[in-house]
Amino acid sequence: MLLVLSEEQKAHLGCLPRVGGAAIGELGYLAVELLRRGAAPKACEAVARKLNAGVDTVQHGVEGLMYLLTESSKLMISEMDFQDSIHVLGFSDELNKLLLQLYLDNRKEIRSILGELAPKLPSYHSLEWRLDVQLASRSLRQQIKPAVTMKLHLNDNEDLTTQVLQTDPSTLLHLIQQLEQALGEMKTNHYSCMCRSTSVPVGLLTSCPRDPANSEARCYTASTVRFSQHLLAINCIGNVFTKQQCSML
Amino acid sequence: MRFRFCGDLDCPDWVLAEISVLARISSVKLKLICAQVLRELLGETIDVSVPTGNHASSQASALAVMCASVLQYEKILKLTSDAKLESGDVKAAIAVLDFILSNAAKHNVDGESLSSELQQLGLPKEHATGLCRSYEEKQSSLQDSLRAGSLRLSRLDGVSWRVDYALSSSELQEVGEPLVHLLLRVRHREHGEPEAVPMAVSAEKFRVLLAELKQAQALMKTLL
Repeated sequence: MLLVLSEEQKAHLGCLPRVGGAAIGELGYLAVELLRRGAAPKACEAVARKLNAGVDTVQHGVEGLMYLLTESSKLMISEMDFQDSIHVLGFSDELNKLLLQLYLDNRKEIRSILGELAPKLPSYHSLEWRLDVQLASRSLRQQIKPAVTMKLHLNDNEDLTTQVLQTDPSTLLHLIQQLEQALGEMKTNHYSCMCRSTSVPVGLLTSCPRDPANSEARCYTASTVRFSQHLLAINCIGNVFTKQQCSML
Repeated sequence: MRFRFCGDLDCPDWVLAEISVLARISSVKLKLICAQVLRELLGETIDVSVPTGNHASSQASALAVMCASVLQYEKILKLTSDAKLESGDVKAAIAVLDFILSNAAKHNVDGESLSSELQQLGLPKEHATGLCRSYEEKQSSLQDSLRAGSLRLSRLDGVSWRVDYALSSSELQEVGEPLVHLLLRVRHREHGEPEAVPMAVSAEKFRVLLAELKQAQALMKTLL
């Protein structure tokens, strides 16, 4: 697969032959730093002064180089394709070899940085729960109505959000059964062929009692370890209920 | 193997692994570390002077708790310094003690059963009896603090009221109506600001509200 560079990018990279071979290494380092930590205008100025070139030229060169490296790492193009892509820029063989080396050296690191940029669903943090029994209300005395109230703590990009849910025991037992089935799927051969750490997306469909037609889907992910902890937590609630149920009803 | 202090479930693997670390500390030192962990679980702060002031109080108390836990951790480090344990082992010991004590209180396990179960897991006899003695002393206060920390959706912080009497209005010259203004302060989150819910209640509605609340209070009294 070949990279297609726009005219502007070709112009940016056009400054590279002028600065010389040794400087390519420095510009390459600046490009990777740009990915790791963001823009560093002072470092660009220092390099520009050292190479006796304009700050703008150096900055454009670094940005062009960064685009070249990220696109190549993203698509994981082979050496042949990389060489063919930069051939169109008309650089010397030595420069091409340097660029190829830069690409091969930094490919793995750039891919790991790019991997972290993917959008994430809120992830499971912890679960607090409480078992209540409604004994009487304004309209009806002498009732027994058990309910489980849960507070789900989610971690949404460093923000802790909470969601309060309430369910009756039969729905809770159904929930436990569904989650156990999901956990059981992870023991199949099909799953174990996949990579070891994957996350389990869990979707909870909750409806507000005031507006039953409008149900809200709450989605979050839990890593397999957290998922089993989560299941253990909910299972504990199930155990409590089955013990108390007999003595109360 | 099912253990009562784990809620009739299997003991977690990490607890099994770290009990061997506990066995390496002498039983006297273990009792002292246990006392420190209990103090932290009960949320008692050491003598750290806290400046009073409304806006700073929550931050100051959080800082005091952090200072207290740092000081307690340093105390524990001093206690374990001559047992030649690494810092990872000290943290593991604190974590295991925290787990055992809070779970035992959670499942209302008495000292005797806890001691026998810990011995089954491989903790030497003197260590287990010392631990369980400290646990039994503080069991009820531990359970009280756990009860206070249970899930609670919102809390009534306070009620203020005022009774007004409308003499006259633009609609009617002699009105003569009493009116109750209620201000309920509701706290939704533990350390958040309480929300003020104001309402004005007419005399009849207020009588109905009062009667219903008195009935609910009578029902609650029969349960206590």
